[in-house]
This record gives sequence, structure tokens and C-alpha cells, in this order.
Amino acid sequence: MEVKNIYIKGIKHEEFNDNEYLENMVQELRAGGVDIMTGALDDLINWGRSNSVWPLTFATSCCGIEFMSVGAARHDFARFGFEVTRSSPRQADVIIVAGTIVHKMAPILKRLYDQMAEPKYIIAMGSCAISGGPFCNSYHVVNDINEVVPVDVYIPGCPPRPEALLYGMMQLQRKIKLENFLRKAKEKK
Amino acid sequence: MNSEMFLVVFFTALVLVAGGLGVALLISPKSFNPQKSETYECGIPTRGTSWMQFKVGYYLFAILYLMFDVETVLLFPWAVTVRELGINGLITIIVFLFILLLGLAYAWKKGALEWK
Amino acid sequence: MEIKDKIISLLPDAVITEGQYLTATIPSDKLHESVKRLRYDEETWFDYLMSLTGYDDGANLGVVYYLSSSRFPQNVLVVKTFTSEREDAQLFSISDIYETANLNEREVFGLMGIRFINHPDMRKLFLRNEWVGFPLRKDYNADPAINPINIESNPESDVLTKLTFTHEGVVESEEKIFEDDEYVVNIGPQHPATHGVLHFRVSLNGEIVKKIDLNCGYIHRGIEKLAESMTYPQILHMTDRLDYLSAHINRHALCMCIENALQLEVPPRAQYIRTMMDELTRVASHLLGWACMCMDMGALTAFIYGMRDREIILDMFEETCGGRLITNYNVIGGVMADLHPNFLQRVRDFIPYMRKMLKEYHQVFTGNVIARERMLGIGLLSKEEAISYGVTGPSGRASGFRCDVRKVAPYAAYDKVKFNEVVREEGDTYARYVIRLDEIVESLNILEQLIETIPDGEIAAKTKAIIRLPEGDFYSRVEAARGEFGVYISSKGDKTPYRVKFRSPSMTLVGVVDKLTRGEKIADLIAIGGSLDYVVPDIDR
Repeated sequence: MEVKNIYIKGIKHEEFNDNEYLENMVQELRAGGVDIMTGALDDLINWGRSNSVWPLTFATSCCGIEFMSVGAARHDFARFGFEVTRSSPRQADVIIVAGTIVHKMAPILKRLYDQMAEPKYIIAMGSCAISGGPFCNSYHVVNDINEVVPVDVYIPGCPPRPEALLYGMMQLQRKIKLENFLRKAKEKK
Repeated sequence: MNSEMFLVVFFTALVLVAGGLGVALLISPKSFNPQKSETYECGIPTRGTSWMQFKVGYYLFAILYLMFDVETVLLFPWAVTVRELGINGLITIIVFLFILLLGLAYAWKKGALEWK
Repeated sequence: MEIKDKIISLLPDAVITEGQYLTATIPSDKLHESVKRLRYDEETWFDYLMSLTGYDDGANLGVVYYLSSSRFPQNVLVVKTFTSEREDAQLFSISDIYETANLNEREVFGLMGIRFINHPDMRKLFLRNEWVGFPLRKDYNADPAINPINIESNPESDVLTKLTFTHEGVVESEEKIFEDDEYVVNIGPQHPATHGVLHFRVSLNGEIVKKIDLNCGYIHRGIEKLAESMTYPQILHMTDRLDYLSAHINRHALCMCIENALQLEVPPRAQYIRTMMDELTRVASHLLGWACMCMDMGALTAFIYGMRDREIILDMFEETCGGRLITNYNVIGGVMADLHPNFLQRVRDFIPYMRKMLKEYHQVFTGNVIARERMLGIGLLSKEEAISYGVTGPSGRASGFRCDVRKVAPYAAYDKVKFNEVVREEGDTYARYVIRLDEIVESLNILEQLIETIPDGEIAAKTKAIIRLPEGDFYSRVEAARGEFGVYISSKGDKTPYRVKFRSPSMTLVGVVDKLTRGEKIADLIAIGGSLDYVVPDIDR
């Protein structure tokens, strides 16, 4: 399937910044022998899934306030389908790791991620979650949450503007639309 | 005619529920790890057991709620057929409500509505 | 001051020096009785412990106490004590005189390794139990291989150790925090209503709370240790991220501390701009505090209303400072850039709009019968307890403690404006709730007076390229939105500080949660936490 088919309402495919990543991902998967021809049924399922990704209420520090601002009235993430933030990981689809993760918090994050139901995603928001941020030389800060949980989208900024968070969420939606959902289900069996 | 309608409704419900659950069973990804079966308590492993002596206040609240819920459920059929039943029905329902109101007054006076 | 002679007469064993404030260095065995005399003497009445800091000067480990009085708020005394034993350092605790010393001394144990005798609960505060080493010591080995990232869960123990002083010497004993058959629930780090990552272990009897055990450190970033290796302009970036809702005010405190130490004169225009930005930050913080408190109690509409009005203030910040939440605006000597031409008009439009919206807020939530039932008479904090626990800010003023730093020790342009210090006497959750909305009114009055009288001139004084503070200890305090925020810098004349400590207002607020919630229901715990309005990265630094 062609990567150009991904349609996000409101922004044209050419205006996204990181299309090369998705095309490289598709090439790599094809080279590895994974068949990612998606049919119309997969498109339908993925369309439904990507427009209804529910985040977990997880915020450790300053980026959490910008996350709350995105949920408030001016920049509203409910119109993207990230409607209700669920408090329980069993009902959530994505953890937006907003804020610094320290050594004491790492097992909590890992446990929350393990307790989520498949399919699940992680967005690393803010420079603290990507690389430790301003605190990268500290003795107690985890310098990259990729060591603890697998990350799908990175959103830089300190804190990222609400528009940047929305852009990151849209990138996640595009990534979800690429997945071959039925194939994944069959393989896991 | 009523029994056929009932069967139609019953089987539609059965098909919808079974269909929804069946499709989910077929196409959902399956994965398991031991943490998934543990209780969720804000990311921390739980402490102690949950089998302990129950506080009786919870039972009282639940029973009172149940009683008045059943009363409300029984009010609906009367409300639907109120015109056919006429004045007889009105007196019957008032007597019924009065008996339950006596129960509420007793519970109120005995302090069952406060949390202790 | 005459009080100086009285203090010298009360402390016969102390070595008195002059610095920014009068400093008394007392040997460790005489500390407890000397501090007790200072506390209870009628002429001095030092009943408010402002800040407790552990320090390591290479040879000795010690503690610095900053004491003040609620009766004579202008008096500040510094008390120091030390021990030369490094392997098992022990000092006497003053947590029976000041309740606020409880959490602070636990922090000193966790980060510096000094244990306190006669402290009721001597556990480490921020770090995991298996952490090797004490980070704030100068000889700490920061090799990541010694303390790797451990993703196994670390269950908290149910046992605490105590050191008690008996006639045989110091005796170590253990005590249980929770009995084996108690029902303990984790209101954990990941929770929508804890205002951050705070872990309460709550022992319950049905719906009634019996005891709360606090476990913080889930956002401990080691800022104080990081600051020891950064130059002074680099430390400014750390302060914005502490209590991010009063980002501006925190940075103002650090800049003031450095400027007072350098005896640098800040131009009047910069003072006025700093004051205006402080008041706008205070309004934004109180709006968010109100919005989150109402959301925790179930009223989501109030959350949307509060955030909507906060966005108007964030627009003003963004135009002038460049950032919404983390503004990065104050620099040493003044402010970074001049006000945007639209700024004054925006403030002029905002003030009547906000006054109208406040009436709407009272209509939406304050008069509601359910809200009143949940707030009136819940979580009572008396004035003496507020002073002893060190609770300042709106929560302290709701209990009758007149602690507004803007009145006690005016800074920036606060001595040029007229405003009331809003104080209530009841000390319950409702008083803490309503006092924030009243403080927004006072902040709008201050802004109204300032925008008409702002002078022209420079916006920043010139400083050298490399800033070195003279030797000594410096302390400055400001009124942040949560309480009194203090900065302590101990300098040895280098371009990096020797020890930096941020006196956190939220730590005192969270220390009082256990006391307020015993005997109340679990839902009241959420209401009390919302009314105290603490921000967790400020506690953990």
C-alpha cells in the first residue's frame, strides 16, 4: 500500500514534516518479509481506531499543565477523538508521558504500561521525557524513557506548545493507520 | 402477536451481542504478561488482602437504595396504565407509597441515613 | 536592634556573627534547649521556622535554621549547628518544637545522611530505600553504575526506625507504621486528583481515614545538586520548573537573592514590570487552583471556565515573555526584554473582564449546597498549628496567620501600592477556597494601580560577564502563589554556588494533610488536598 493514502482531516499529507520516517518504516517492514498490504477492512478498522485513542491521565510535571490546557476549551483534543482521559490503564490506549521520569517513578511507569491492554502506544512529550531535558546530568533522572518503555512518537519542547502536542497526536494517528491490524491479530495467535 | 414480537426482540438482542463479542474475539490481538492480571492500584503493588471485615454502613446504604429502586420500578407499570385503572388504581398506589414512606421515616429517625 | 541583646543573653554557648542576618552557631548538644528558649521567651517568640537546610562544608556536616516570629515578623535569626562525625552523623531534632521540622529533617537524612535524635519517624524521604550514598554530600560518587535504573517495584516497608536519647545514650528502636490487619489503600502516584505525583498510603476504616503516610520523591530531580555545578545565570532556568504555576515569582526570588548579594541596583521600570508579571502569575495560578479543586470535587464546568480565563493571561505572557507556562523572563539585574506595546492595553481590558467572571464563578460553585456541605467545617487548621507547621500563603492566611511576605518584607514595587492582606479566621476548607478568589480581587487592584504609574527607563542593570557572589550566606523570600518561597545560597566566592536550597511552600502544605484528614472521609481527603493546592515538583525539587 502506498503511504500517500493516509488521510488526516484538515492537513494535507505533504505538509507533515516527517513523511520519510513512515516511508522508511514501510520499506523496512517489506524488506523483512512482513506483508503490509492493507485491504479495505483494515482501513476501516484503523480509521475507527485512530480517531478514538484515549489517553491515560498521567502527568508528572510542567508538561502536565500544557497537557491539561490541551484538554481545556481553547485547544480541545476531544475533537480529535482523544475524548475522555481514562484514569485506569485498562481502559486507556495511549500514555502521554508528560514530564520528567525519575528513578523512583520508572517502575510505576513500566507497571502502568504492562497493565494496559493491547494495542497500546506511548507518546514522549517534552524534552525531559525524550532525553532528560534540563536535568540530564542529575543523579536521579532517567535520561531516555525508551530504556523503560517503547516510545512511538517524540514531541520536543520545554514545554511543547499545545499545537505541538496536537501535531504529535496527529502523527500517532498516521502511524496507527499504517498498521495491518488483522495480520497482527493472526500472527499473535 | 405479542409472543412473536417478543421472540423477534429476543433473537435480535442475542445476535447483536453474540456478533459483537464474536467479532472482537476473532480480530483482537492477544497478548499476556503477568502484570496484566494484577490489581491496579495507581501503579503500586497492593498491600495486604482484601478479605476483611465489612463495614455495615455500606450494607445499610445499599439495602435502602435497593428498596426505593424496586419501588420506582413498580411505579412504572402503574404510570403506563393509569387511565385504565382509574380511581381504584390511584388509591392502591397511594397506599403502597404510604407504606414505603413509613419505612423511610423509620430509617430516617433511626439514623440509618447518616454515615457512621 | 534591641532584640539582639536579648538573643545574645538567651544563648550563652553560641558564637554570634553578623551577616545578612544575625547568625548564632551553637554546639550540637546545646541546640535543643537553646532553640526552646528562643521559642518560648516572650520578647523574642521565634515560633515560625522558615527554613531548615543541611550543609556539608567538607569537614563537618551541619544544619542551618532560619527562624522568624509571628508576633514580630521583621525579626529573622539564623541558627547553625554541626557535627564532625561523618560516618554516622547524629544531631538533635527540633521537631517537637516546630512540626515543620518533621519532613525537613527526613529530607536532610535522605540527601545528606544526618540522623536526628528524638525524631518520631526517621526514614529517608526522597530516594529509594536501596539507594547507595547521600547525594548532597561533597564526596558523593555519582557513578550511574552504583545506582542503576531499577524497574522492579519497590514496596514501601511498614516499619520505621527511631533514635531516642535515654540515659544509656542513643538507642535505636523500630515501630510499626501500620498494623498487619489494617486496610491500606494506595492513593498513588498516578491519580488524577493528587496534583502531581504524590503517593499517599491511607489506612481506612470503612470510609473514615485513620492515618495517612506520605511517600514523595517521585519527581525528585536533584535540582539542588545540579545547581552546585552550574553558574548563576544557568541556575535561573531551574527555578521556573520548580513550582511551575508561579514560575515568574520563583525566578524573581532567585534574582533578588543574587542581586542583594552583589548589591546590584535594579532599575525602577524593571521592578514595576516584575511586580506586574508576579501579580498576573498569581491570578493565573489561583485560577488553575480553583479550577482543579472544583474538578476534583466533580464540577468539570468550573475547570473549563478557569482554564478559559487563564488562557487570556497566558496570551499576555506569550506576547511579552515568549513562553506560556515557563516564561524565562527575569534575569539577574532586571528583565530580559521590554514590554510589548499591546501589553498595557491587554491588562486594562482584562481587569474588568475578570471582575465580571468572578461573580460568575461564585454563582457556579460557591453557593451550591453540595459544595458547601463538602467544604464547611472540614479540615480545620488552627492558627497555632498553621504557624508550627509553617503553612503560609492562602492556606495559612485562611487560618488567621498574617504571613504575607509582600507586607512583612516588601520587595520590588509592593511598597508603592495599596492593597489589603486577605485573612480569614475559620481555617476550614471553605475558607481556603474562598480566600483564593478574594486574593484574585486584590491582585487586580494592584495591577490597576501599577499600569497607570509605570516609569520609563532601562529594563536591566549591567552585570559582569562572569558573576561571582561574595563569600557568605544569603537568603531572600517572596510571596509565591502557594506560600513563602525562599532561596538560600551559600557561596565561597566562586562562579558556582557552594550550596543552594529552595524553601518550598508546598512541602509544609503536604505535611499538614495527615493531621487535617484524620477522622474525615476519603472524599474529604480529595477536597482538602485541592484546597491546600500544593504542587508536587516544588516538594521534591
